[in-house]
Amino acid sequence: MTRWFEDITVDEVFPLGSHTFGEEEIIRFASLYDPQYFHLDAEAAKSSHFGGLVASGWHTVSVGHRKMVDALFAEEERLRGLGKEPGLSGPSPGVNSMDFKVPVRPGDTVTYELTVTGKRASNSIPGWGLLFNKLTAVNQRGELVYQADIVGFSKLRDYTMPLKLKVLLALTKVPVIGALLKRGS
Amino acid sequence: MTNPVTQNRRHFEDLRIGEVIDLGHTTVSKEMIITFASEFDPFPFHLDETAAKASLLGGLASSGWQTGALSLRMLVDSFLNTVASAGGLGFTDLKWKNPVMVGDTIGGTVTIADLRRSGSHPQWGIMTLDFDVRNQKDQPVLTMRLANLVEAREPGVAA
Repeated sequence: MTRWFEDITVDEVFPLGSHTFGEEEIIRFASLYDPQYFHLDAEAAKSSHFGGLVASGWHTVSVGHRKMVDALFAEEERLRGLGKEPGLSGPSPGVNSMDFKVPVRPGDTVTYELTVTGKRASNSIPGWGLLFNKLTAVNQRGELVYQADIVGFSKLRDYTMPLKLKVLLALTKVPVIGALLKRGS
Repeated sequence: MTNPVTQNRRHFEDLRIGEVIDLGHTTVSKEMIITFASEFDPFPFHLDETAAKASLLGGLASSGWQTGALSLRMLVDSFLNTVASAGGLGFTDLKWKNPVMVGDTIGGTVTIADLRRSGSHPQWGIMTLDFDVRNQKDQPVLTMRLANLVEAREPGVAA
């Protein structure tokens, strides 16, 4: 989340809010990204084992991502309101697992929640930490729609670059040496 | 019971491990990036060129979820709509390897890595698909392993 790495507590739960999926948006997403008949055509979808139109899993996941982004922005606002400087989050390197459980049908309301399950300093990017997040999506009947393990980056507040790295970084700014170092890396 | 939509498509029994699917190509425009990001990933580095230049990405890049969605679209067009697909079960090891920038053309392959009967549903098989999506410079942009259900012609049991 938009907090410094040091300020994120493992097991902390962030409610991300809900989204109601309309038939029109389910079909619009499917026509662009996942045009399989059970995501696209309510009549044809009756022949599938779903028995009717269902949202693309990628659609429910994309909405979940949007909910997370909105929560990040809200947390940033909240921290500024308290007179604190928000931290920085970086691009996600990936998703370890994503399990689709119950399909989303038109009119379903899905509630999203993120739990920080672990964190550690990054080995490859100095000054940044890795966050391990569990994202769950539950429908209005309390059934699990999907569960995901997503990795994120968060910046360290109290990071001091080691002297060795500072020297290396300074050297990359010297024209000839910099070019040689970049070629070598 | 025969499914009229999928009856003439390839079924579980018709698929082979090792089959490689060519995804074709998609060129990602600035408009596509901004449209997707506005709805699903409204970070400034996916919406605004100036903000994007100042970010870690160094320029306007697609949301990773959009890269995945476009990869899925290529798979549906080139393969999933030709088989008796019954929907995705999920995926593992999704990795965003390089950002997809405005004007990049992505494509690549999907390989059938595994085929097995469902343990609980004799009418289905589970197909495991490995994505290797690359840009026009042959740099990897996305890899993942997707599990997808496929209808079988004849009910069977897990081996």
